[in-house]
Amino acid sequence: MTAAETATGKGWGAAPSATWAVTGLALRQTSRGAVVVIALTALMSAVTVGAYRGAVASPSDAAALAALAENPAIRTLFGEPVALHDAGGFAVWRTGTVLSVLLAVWGLLAATRITRGEEDAGRWDVLLAGRVPVRSVVAHHLATLVAWALLAGVAAFTGLFAAGATAGGATAHATGLALCGVFFVALGTLTSQVFAERSSASGAAVAVLGVGMLLKMVGDGIAGLEWLRWLSPFGMAALARPYDGDHMGPLAVLGAVCTLLAVAAIAAAGRRDVRGGHLPSSSGRAPRRVLLGSPQAFAVRRLLRPLAAWSAGIGVYYLLIGVLAVSMTAFLAANPRFAELAAQAGFGGLVTVEGYVATLFALLAVPVGAFAAVRLAGLAQEETSRRLTLLLAQPVTRVRVLAAEVAAAVGGAFVLTTVAGLATWAGARTVGAGLGLLAALSGAWNVLPVVFLCLGIGALALAWVPRAVAFAGCVPAAGGFLLKVFADTWGWPTWIGQVSPFTHLTALPDVPVGRDAAMVMTTIGVLAVVVGAAGYRRRDLRV
Amino acid sequence: MVSSAFHTESLTKRYGRMTALDRLDLSVPPGEVFGFLGPNGAGKSTTIRLLLGLARPTAGRAWVFGADAADVAVTHRRLAYVPADVALWPRLTGAETLELLARTGPGTDLAYRAELVERFGLDPSKPGRTYSTGNRQKVALIAAFATRAPLLVLDEPSSGLDPLVEREFRRAVGEARDNGQTVFLSSHQLSEVEAVCDKVAILRAGRLVDVATVRELRRLHRTEVTAAFATAPPDLTRVPGVEEVETTGATTVRFALTGPPGPALRALADADVLNLAVREPSLEEIFLGYYGGRER
Repeated sequence: MTAAETATGKGWGAAPSATWAVTGLALRQTSRGAVVVIALTALMSAVTVGAYRGAVASPSDAAALAALAENPAIRTLFGEPVALHDAGGFAVWRTGTVLSVLLAVWGLLAATRITRGEEDAGRWDVLLAGRVPVRSVVAHHLATLVAWALLAGVAAFTGLFAAGATAGGATAHATGLALCGVFFVALGTLTSQVFAERSSASGAAVAVLGVGMLLKMVGDGIAGLEWLRWLSPFGMAALARPYDGDHMGPLAVLGAVCTLLAVAAIAAAGRRDVRGGHLPSSSGRAPRRVLLGSPQAFAVRRLLRPLAAWSAGIGVYYLLIGVLAVSMTAFLAANPRFAELAAQAGFGGLVTVEGYVATLFALLAVPVGAFAAVRLAGLAQEETSRRLTLLLAQPVTRVRVLAAEVAAAVGGAFVLTTVAGLATWAGARTVGAGLGLLAALSGAWNVLPVVFLCLGIGALALAWVPRAVAFAGCVPAAGGFLLKVFADTWGWPTWIGQVSPFTHLTALPDVPVGRDAAMVMTTIGVLAVVVGAAGYRRRDLRV
Repeated sequence: MVSSAFHTESLTKRYGRMTALDRLDLSVPPGEVFGFLGPNGAGKSTTIRLLLGLARPTAGRAWVFGADAADVAVTHRRLAYVPADVALWPRLTGAETLELLARTGPGTDLAYRAELVERFGLDPSKPGRTYSTGNRQKVALIAAFATRAPLLVLDEPSSGLDPLVEREFRRAVGEARDNGQTVFLSSHQLSEVEAVCDKVAILRAGRLVDVATVRELRRLHRTEVTAAFATAPPDLTRVPGVEEVETTGATTVRFALTGPPGPALRALADADVLNLAVREPSLEEIFLGYYGGRER
């Protein structure tokens, strides 16, 4: 800009566009994930309303469902069933927990990623050297994320309403969902001001999420402790009782808490050093020299922390699955309509403990596949952040580095599936479901071939589209799962369903091992890794 | 015995339509401290990336101690590298990073490493994310020097170092030279190259402009003489070796001197010189000679 332009005031005129540029930056960094979350919210809400009409045709169905929902374990997992007599109420009960956790996780991770993550990586140094002060930058990022969370609420309302649920309950539910999202967006932004490290900021916010979920679960499941729900954003959203009174009081409180958090986050942003947090980071420590001896060992070292977190999440979930084994199968056996519907969506054999467990083990492929994909995406990230340069300047080939990462991911996937198997077995044991340890373990391990496919596609992406490793790596598991559900539900041509790896997963431990499909998937996975490694070896490093 | 630490033959790298490096033929003899000079974007880092096998040449080849540069498992056993912008693992402390690089590297002299940590003033207990640019650079430099590898490839190594550490860095380069190691030092800082290098290759817009010793480079250029006289200055325009005579005041003259200075000194001796300043141009100015004109 020339002096003349500044003198005539163009420099001042540019000030609003500077903050718009910051908002634009936040939008660019969040739009992809936000669109996926919003679409999922709308779709799941609408589909569940539709499913209710098919499933609960008679009063006896509704009564059976209500009885099931009163099971303490089910209550813990899905929350208090407040309006199962209503399609909308059913959808809220069935999807409420999942969607609020989805929004919360997305919100807090996005918040810490685009604020602390960008700042920690040094990219904000340039941004903050500009006209816009740090407080304003944080405020604009926060506002963008809040807008996305509110849009997700609009999506939930639209999904419910469009599928035929009444508007009043939909409004209460959608507001609760959106506010859960806003709560964790604001919380993530706040922890990003407190901690100087992105992982600490995310970790603290995730801990709050865990505690919040736990408080709601305890409040939902145990009579006399209902008040605990007032201490949790999820609990307050549930206290609104959509389709059963639509109380706006708890939502108003939650909204006030969200506002408070957001104000605190923005205030905290202005009172700290750039690249620093309110809590000083550790000033040094004695070296821990284990697992630094080779690329393989180092890959394991970098794996341990995330693996522990994934194991905890998957372990808790599958423990509940195990605890529910008896009551779920009894319910489905007594209510064939639900079993039929599940079979229609591709989940047959749910009426036995083995069949039920097998179906839920198939689902395990989605998180474990995502875990594997994220590991390879981490390698791509190491490359763009130039950390890998130091390692690759050693007498270490890229193939060896990739092999180390793949091996670590395979090991991690084995640990995760084992944890899931053990947790399910332990849970089933507490209710006397009669699920054998080996049956549980082999059922969980059964998904490993799909994970190999994920690694294979991820490795191909690393070689040719390194920006899309995480997405591509998730395609065989998450994409394949959705494809199978859609193909079965909507009666798509058989060959479409055949593309999904899930069509070829045998329902272990219900049905004896189908070695052929597993072998084929494993072979394809291994071949894809080999081809990916060849491509990775030949391309230029992105630095 | 291989006759060069590394050499390249028509080494070319194109990114789309942009030619980053154009048919580079360069041979660096073993045991020399070899400077690689050029402005930003000249292709210095591209050359180094090709040399390290981090990128593939579009055409031409590079060899490190006789082995194809693409064969990193072999070539990297004999070299150590310090990137221009060092990125460390945020959770590993300096000591842990050094440990990782030592145990995956071509072998490390642990005693020398400990000495370097001391000399460079690095606190190795801090996690990587807390290090400043200079400290990250120190970690990579210590790891590289401690390998005592036959070839050290240093990409703008002292850009983030303070003067005291820079002195230690120059000492370490000298020790490497005394040790018979080859040091390939890319830089756009002339003082750095001038201080430590034996030979310099100059790169401009992806092309090799010249390879010369630092002394030769200087000789290519003139000495600048400023003289002040008691009376009107003599006419120096016809004196052999004297060029660009410029009258800077009533009694002062500035001129450029090339070749033997005898005739000019005689001419000055005949006049009544009050003050004489002789200045050797910095490499900076020599450098500007290469890049001046068209590129500006």
